[in-house]
Amino acid sequence: MKVTIKNLTKKFASRDKNGEPVIAVNNLTAEFESGKLIALLGPSGCGKSTMLNMLSGILPVTSGKIYFDDTDVTDLTPDKREVGLVFQNYALYPHMTVLQNICFPLKIKKVPKDERIARAKKIARMVHIDEYLNRLPKELSGGQQQRVAIARALVKNPKLLLLDEPLSNLDAKLRLEMREEIRRIQRESGVTTVFVTHDQEEATSISDYIVLMKLGVMQQFSATRDIYNNPANLFVADFIGNPTINQLHGEYTSSGFKPDGTDEIIPIKADVAEGTRTILAARAESVTFNKGENGISAKVNDMYSSGKDWLLNIDIGNNNLRGYCDADYELIPEEIIKVQFKDKGVFLFDEKSGERYC
Amino acid sequence: MTEKKKRVRTYKDTDEKITAKSLIKPFLFSLPFMVGLIIFTVYPFIKAVLLSFMENYRFLSGKFTGYGLGNYQAIIADPNFINALKSTTKYVLIVVPISMALSLLIAVGLNSVKKLQGLFQTVYFLPLVTSSTAIGMIFRWLYDYDYGLFNYFIGLFGIDRIHWLADVRFTMASICIYGIWSMLPFTIILLLAGLQNIDPVYYTAARADGAKSRDIFFNITIPLLMPTIILTSIVNMMSAFKVYDSLFVLYGGKPGPAFNLYTVIYYLYDMFWNKNKLGNAAASAMVLFVIIAVFTLLQNLISKKTNYYK
Ligand SMILES: Nc1ncnc2c1ncn2[C@@H]1O[C@H](COP(=O)(O)OP(=O)(O)OP(=O)(O)O)[C@@H](O)[C@H]1O
Ligand SMILES: [Mg+2]
Repeated sequence: MKVTIKNLTKKFASRDKNGEPVIAVNNLTAEFESGKLIALLGPSGCGKSTMLNMLSGILPVTSGKIYFDDTDVTDLTPDKREVGLVFQNYALYPHMTVLQNICFPLKIKKVPKDERIARAKKIARMVHIDEYLNRLPKELSGGQQQRVAIARALVKNPKLLLLDEPLSNLDAKLRLEMREEIRRIQRESGVTTVFVTHDQEEATSISDYIVLMKLGVMQQFSATRDIYNNPANLFVADFIGNPTINQLHGEYTSSGFKPDGTDEIIPIKADVAEGTRTILAARAESVTFNKGENGISAKVNDMYSSGKDWLLNIDIGNNNLRGYCDADYELIPEEIIKVQFKDKGVFLFDEKSGERYC
Repeated sequence: MTEKKKRVRTYKDTDEKITAKSLIKPFLFSLPFMVGLIIFTVYPFIKAVLLSFMENYRFLSGKFTGYGLGNYQAIIADPNFINALKSTTKYVLIVVPISMALSLLIAVGLNSVKKLQGLFQTVYFLPLVTSSTAIGMIFRWLYDYDYGLFNYFIGLFGIDRIHWLADVRFTMASICIYGIWSMLPFTIILLLAGLQNIDPVYYTAARADGAKSRDIFFNITIPLLMPTIILTSIVNMMSAFKVYDSLFVLYGGKPGPAFNLYTVIYYLYDMFWNKNKLGNAAASAMVLFVIIAVFTLLQNLISKKTNYYK
């Protein structure tokens, strides 16, 4: 099922520190293709849960429209929307067994008992919890509880599956496992899925598309690969990627970018007025080092072994940045080397607004 | 993942070890209360147990002929005692479920009105802190044949006036209405506390699962409130088995107009005070004690079963 969101806005009665009403989601427009996994990504408090709850119908919208395929569902209650929702803390009904939990949405729909048990068992097999059907939630591990929550959300064959930070309560190892599980379950069921997370790595590893939000405003909506290679603004470039993208403050000149604290220039072409304060952002893997004459001079601060590479920490003028180089490269701290930037993974942003120039 | 039981006993929530030394302070703090408890509860209790087995006990001389089951045989053979047991049980079976159902309705209603909750909770606590004599006076007025509110109310439906307190057919009803009413505040407060302990995320989850308010009430609220409902029912049952003071205030010390509201405690009082049969009084107290103890055990068992969280 395709999901279309038009100018969606949610205001809360509560006030922010300036006395303005909190706008948790601000005029958001997007279209989610059928059968895809979309990650809703952003720092804490940016409105991800609010967005998800509006999609599920738990929270009424302030303005804007939501369409499932071509049906306007904006004013429909949750039971009429056919969505499955998985909560951050799973919210399994503590007094029901695993089987009863999974059956509950069907019981509400008055599906005959035999049929609902058969359907519940089928879903339970799919998420690999069929061994625990008679246990209470308190007798399950976090990962198992999460599978039950997913099963409960999937059992009514929802047209849209919504997951609110489903992995945040799990330990690091289980998180990686469950990430792949969710991906597998989503592929197998083919249901359009919206996955909320504040972890950019989780988002990029699991999703087809990413919606990146900041303070209720959508910053970028694009295919997962593109958001890394083609960030819309400085916030996106900074939020996505590990290690965090390098940022050099400086000035745009006719011959390129001049970092603060040096007279050397990094050649880059953009449609900006000369003298504009800008930030050159470069992914660590787009920075190359040599001991020859090509590039801008930099001073080595430190280096850390990361297995096959060195992670280098260097200074260019007043700016600090990081990059990788071969492990057999001989370097000593305080040494001056040359740095070059590749075309890919290097962007120029306005220092104030974060707007992208190139 | 079952963890092996630790050998060292520790205090709840801390890892401090329990030692003789660490017990001194809490022991001292609880000492004054303990002394009172021993003097006024434990000692009389033991005495009463012994008394119930002493045959032909003389209050003034303190003499008795020996230990035995004579007192028990006597009360079981006494139709008054059997009647008292019957009418007390009837009272319990009427008052406890009805007051529970009413309290549940009121508590759920109150819980959804967020605004005036504090005020409501105070109002509902009032009967608990008002003297039972004053309440008894008010109820006698409410039940009044000529001017009472109850007769006025049923008059609205065209029903004839009732001699609430004098007509033998209605005395059970009047005492039950009073009993139900006086049970409400305590029950509502406990149920409200129970309701507020239910994580609202379950309601949201149920809504997302497509449940309507009715489904949520029966599938989520009631089961999750069950531990509180059971606890409160049992506490109410215990207090209902001890029904006595309401009789006293409504009928001025008599167990109903034709002695038809003769309850177990009234029997005890009667045996002790009017008939001077201390052994019989003690034996009837023991019977009541066993009944209440059974309910307490039952409550312990059930509350372990309905603990869904740990
Ligand atoms: N019921 C509410 N009443 C008032 N303000 C709310 C309410 N729910 C959320 N907010 C506010 O709306 C904003 C967005 O909240 P939301 O829960 O959507 O954030 P989030 O992106 O899910 O954050 P997190 O990652 O911490 O879960 C926050 O500023 C929050 O304080
Ligand atoms: Mg959230």
